[in-house]
Amino acid sequence: MSESTSTNTPKPSSSVKLVLLGEAAVGKSSLVLRFVNNDFQENKEPTIGAAFLTQKCSLPTRTIKFEIWDTAGQERFASLAPMYYRNAQAALVVYDVTKPSSLTKAKHWVAELQRQASPGIVIALVGNKLDLTNDGIDTAGEAPAEADGESAADGEEAAGENQEEQDVASGDARKVPTREASSYAEEEGLLFFETSAKTGVNVVDVFTAIANAIPESSLKSGRGAGAGTGQTSLGSGRPADDSRVNLGERGPATAKEGCAC
Amino acid sequence: MMQWTSFVQKAQSLIDPANFTLPTLTSSDRNPSKASLFRQQFRLPDSQNPLQEITAELILPIPHTSTSHGDATRNLDRAGNRYAGRLHLSERFICFSTQPTSFAPSASLGASTHWAGQTNGTGPSGNGFTIPLCCIRRVERLNSLGHVFSLALTTWNGALGKQQNPDFVPQRFTIQLAGSRQACERFCDGLKKGLRECMKEIENLRVVVNDCYSEYLLSGAKAKAQNGETPEARQPPDAGLGMMFRYPGDARKLRDRSKMRLWGEYFRENGRNATLIRQPTFHKLIRVGLPNRLRGEVWEITSGSFYLRLRSPKLYTDTLSKFSGQESLAIDEIEKDLNRSLPEYPGFQSEEGIGRLRRVLTAYSWINAEIGYCQAMNIVVAALLIYMSEAQAFFLLSVLCDRLLPGYYSTTMYGTLLDQKVFESLVEKTMPVLWEHLTKSDVQLSVVSLPWFLSLYINSMPLVFAFRVLDVFFLEGPKVLFQVGLAILRINGEELLDIQDDGSFISVLKSYFSRLDESAHPRSENPKLRAITRFQELMVVAFKEFSQITHQTITEQRDKHKDAVLESIESFAKRTSIRNLGPDSKKLSMDDLGVIYDRYYEVLYDRQQRDKLLEEERRRQQKKRVERTSILGPPVDREIGRVGLGPSPTHMDYDAFRDFLAATAKWAVADSPSPSRKDSTAEQGSFRGWGKTSSLLNSKPEPADHEFMQRLFRKWATDPDEGISLQNVVNGLARLRGPRDIMNNIQYFFDLYDDNGVGMVDREGILRMSEALLFLSRRGFDGTITPTQSVEDIRANENEQDKLSTYERFLGSVSSFIRRCFEYADPSHPESRAAEGQKETDDAADKLGSFSIGDDDEEDLIDVDDGDTKSTSSAVTEKPAKPESENKPNNPQHNRALSQAANPALDPNNPLHITLPTFRMVILADELLEQFFDSFFPQSFRLSDHGLHVLASSSLSSNLTTFSNIGAAKPQLSAVSGASVAGASGGIVPPGKGLRGVLDNIVSDGIRMAAEVKKRMDEAQRELERSALSRADDEEEEDDDEYDTRSGAATASAMAGGISSWGAGVYGADPERRSVRDTDRDLLEGAEVVSMRGKDDASLLLDDDDNGHKDAHNSNPPHDDPHVISKVEFES
Repeated sequence: MSESTSTNTPKPSSSVKLVLLGEAAVGKSSLVLRFVNNDFQENKEPTIGAAFLTQKCSLPTRTIKFEIWDTAGQERFASLAPMYYRNAQAALVVYDVTKPSSLTKAKHWVAELQRQASPGIVIALVGNKLDLTNDGIDTAGEAPAEADGESAADGEEAAGENQEEQDVASGDARKVPTREASSYAEEEGLLFFETSAKTGVNVVDVFTAIANAIPESSLKSGRGAGAGTGQTSLGSGRPADDSRVNLGERGPATAKEGCAC
Repeated sequence: MMQWTSFVQKAQSLIDPANFTLPTLTSSDRNPSKASLFRQQFRLPDSQNPLQEITAELILPIPHTSTSHGDATRNLDRAGNRYAGRLHLSERFICFSTQPTSFAPSASLGASTHWAGQTNGTGPSGNGFTIPLCCIRRVERLNSLGHVFSLALTTWNGALGKQQNPDFVPQRFTIQLAGSRQACERFCDGLKKGLRECMKEIENLRVVVNDCYSEYLLSGAKAKAQNGETPEARQPPDAGLGMMFRYPGDARKLRDRSKMRLWGEYFRENGRNATLIRQPTFHKLIRVGLPNRLRGEVWEITSGSFYLRLRSPKLYTDTLSKFSGQESLAIDEIEKDLNRSLPEYPGFQSEEGIGRLRRVLTAYSWINAEIGYCQAMNIVVAALLIYMSEAQAFFLLSVLCDRLLPGYYSTTMYGTLLDQKVFESLVEKTMPVLWEHLTKSDVQLSVVSLPWFLSLYINSMPLVFAFRVLDVFFLEGPKVLFQVGLAILRINGEELLDIQDDGSFISVLKSYFSRLDESAHPRSENPKLRAITRFQELMVVAFKEFSQITHQTITEQRDKHKDAVLESIESFAKRTSIRNLGPDSKKLSMDDLGVIYDRYYEVLYDRQQRDKLLEEERRRQQKKRVERTSILGPPVDREIGRVGLGPSPTHMDYDAFRDFLAATAKWAVADSPSPSRKDSTAEQGSFRGWGKTSSLLNSKPEPADHEFMQRLFRKWATDPDEGISLQNVVNGLARLRGPRDIMNNIQYFFDLYDDNGVGMVDREGILRMSEALLFLSRRGFDGTITPTQSVEDIRANENEQDKLSTYERFLGSVSSFIRRCFEYADPSHPESRAAEGQKETDDAADKLGSFSIGDDDEEDLIDVDDGDTKSTSSAVTEKPAKPESENKPNNPQHNRALSQAANPALDPNNPLHITLPTFRMVILADELLEQFFDSFFPQSFRLSDHGLHVLASSSLSSNLTTFSNIGAAKPQLSAVSGASVAGASGGIVPPGKGLRGVLDNIVSDGIRMAAEVKKRMDEAQRELERSALSRADDEEEEDDDEYDTRSGAATASAMAGGISSWGAGVYGADPERRSVRDTDRDLLEGAEVVSMRGKDDASLLLDDDDNGHKDAHNSNPPHDDPHVISKVEFES
């Protein structure tokens, strides 16, 4: 388990359980590997059930320790998913921008999470494999700059502007228009990013944005949502935490702090 | 020597239940059959059943090799070992176990399930043997003391090689049977029979045994030692990739050599592979870890996969060649994982290893398509391939998936989830403090333990240790996984009590696994204690401290949690499935979708259970023990059909669809059980153990079978041959039950009959439509159709008793529907004479309209509306039979005009059709039909908004009016239909007596009419064929024809009425009935005539408007019609 190299300031630290969901082969594991190890390579560890990794993300006011559950993609493992998203405070629902069916699957996961996961779970919709599209080539250069100094808020705005420009992508492998996914994300109150685990575009931004979107209230107890809800009943473990978050309102509002991980 | 009892034997064999009943196959594995317990204990293939069993004593000879291998104490221990136990005989195996278990039909289940032997579980536990009958070379009955019945068995052990060693001593041991003489004789007879049948298998045995390393070890190695180089020194058989890429671990450290020597010794004394006899040493040798080259073979024997391979040695290669070049989803998935399976082992960095892995996984995915491929299988198979050949791994994988890890790799992985629940509950029971801590820290145990079970610790522990666990696992069964898991937690208990979250939990265990080879007591003074590794400690804790965890424990726990796990999977599947139903499903509420989903799968489930039981019954009746044709695959008596269990059928055939409709709509319930089904339920009633399912089936409404339902089926199904999917059903219902839209419903109905999709329904179709309308309405309307108040008011002025029920009025509507359809139909060939005829019709109708305002003589094909008493009998006869209609006192000329108008419409020489606008207009022109399509038709599909259980209640079903008993049940029908029939409370009036009788006759008339019209069409069609030239036939002649044929109507129409099942009984309306009607007519003259008038006025007015519409039906949007109706209401 690699840890962030950021200096250990006595900032309040709290852990956040994050689960990755999505169709097989959309690059869930690669995203995590990029985030945790800043690496991209063929994942030699087969994912049985789910892989568990941790990574710290330091915000100006606090440190977030992500406990990442990277679930197996094979369809039949879907019935195990409730075990992993139980009590998760954040979820990354990943699809492949070159594969429309994966967005459909992602929508199902979003619906599943909204109905079954902890109330107030922060969901980010992520279109991966941006490197296979034309915009991926364009933005590849910008990305490091963004990640270096600019605040996440700016990054998001920039991404927003990009999206508009990117909309009509032509002659590349992209099959899911940015606008289609982003408008869906807006409707459902999700964070939305397009990333490339291969080039690293937007990967860190996703996690930073999630860290910022986690409501303080659910961080107080370290592991806010549902701590102490005893029995592990599959799929029905609805925690007693009633801190509901309207993401539609607060998503952009809270995304002002930068992340130095 | 056994002859003297043979006669008695035969007689007894007939009485002995074991000889003529199949072992009870229950439909639930909650109650595992004795046969399956038997198979599990001796690791037999699913084809085997316990045939005979007897208490016996196994007497082993003093090993002939013992003299050469000193050690007197051990010799003493072994010399002439005797084991008391039970001897079992199946079709192809003879098994002995020291455990006093019994699988005879008479044995209590406790005697079958209670195992308390050394291994406490399934598998070849205790001492004894499992020997295929084909391995037995000779059986001798020993002459011994009077009452002792001794058999000496000689096996093929070691004698299958081409060349025999001169000093070869065959394996021979004695069994003393204890029991009555008859019992012994019976057992021997069974044995003789089995031996005879199994003789042909010896060739398979030769092939299979040749792949066993033990054969090489015992013969080849010896030969080499003696002669240096002989032809006998053959290549060693394939003992896995390890032979090429080295076996994991340090062979010296593992003391592989001495283990090998010990095993060689054991094999020499106790037989090898197929003829191995288990003595205590066997279990000990396994516990200390198998030597590399024998590991695969011993796994094969202890798991029982050897017996599958023996049965069909070529299955693996055959499967590969049969499916070579084909593609599948599973293959794609396999390809993705090939490079990620034990990548640290050099064999799987090579093409050779990857190729083997690919072939085994692919072959299995073909042979068991239900499982196909599941991630984690790649890891398990990769591990197996290090120690076994491809074919061996293939069969062992099959045993793993089907028996050792049931449901683990299924598409829902319910077995995995279930065992996690079991594991959690065991942790809670055995380590309550730790459990409480985990619960408090909100750490979910299964996120850690799931991979342990799913990949058999191979991915969690260093390989050498994982294989040690596997050694015991294959011998003792799944409980080993639990014992090891519990031991891991117990050993790390203190550290685990400090953890706060998933992360630390995982890291504690990770570091523990990485130090398994270190000393468990590094600081101990005692060097012996220091030498104990953590892994050894783990094994001791697992099998000593958790020895109370037996197979029984696991089975009980699985039973306990099974429902909850399946339900959670199913609710997950349901959520997912409903969410995936696409945009159309949004028209229905979530509740509705839930109801559809449940009902859909319930029907599929029920049908599967029924099929299964019928199949069992069929087999039982054959009184033959038919061996399963396929060697591999899920156990024969496993549970099937539940969504949570894995792949279940996803499509309904037409019969299942009928069941579904019957559960959804009242009209789809049959009037009376069809004879065929009756028979089958009677059969089912005789099943043993049918219990719950039986009552369940019996309470189901019997589905009707009607052409309308067939049309619905074809309309909904994307591919009728494939059946109808949930998606199809939802889409179909979404259109009907979506936002209320009468136009949509009318069009939907029209489309059902628009066979060619050209927007036209022909004559035949019109008749079928009217039949469908009657079919759909025959069980009443549940108040969805109410005649307008104004009409009621008018009626109220008249005799209360003479009110017609809604249903009867609906009949009238249907009749006018037919009439109007024909009236307004378009000719299919405008240039033909039909056009003129049509025009005449129009004229006639126009005239009629103007003529009959304020009058009451509008004629309907079914003359319910008509207040005139003549109508009852004229309903059928009206148009076709002029003579009779002329007899009528009232407006004969009008009748004539009408029939003249109608006749051309029925003339097959003039094909005609109606279009959707026409159909719409005709429907909207009638208040009842409009209501029918507006509310009744869509609402007759009951979803979440209706309590359906009413249907199942028998009291209602007795109330249901059927056409075959319509006379008697009429009053109830009225009650059901919700229409207020004031006079109906007077009780049942027999048909032909009074008003009710008349109405009954009207009903049957309606049906007769449909049949009649149809018959006429057929008649005319035949006529047409006979003389295509006689186009100029005038109407009189045709009418005469009609009249003639009608005399035989009763039978002819019954034939013509192949339309549907419901009509058949009624078509046989007899002449007597008609005469009865005549008397009724007299009775009814007077008040009733008047009472009808009001309504007729209304319908006449409607007709006027109809005509108006007809004239401009192309330009006038049909939704003007509601105005018409309200106008009528107002005026009347």
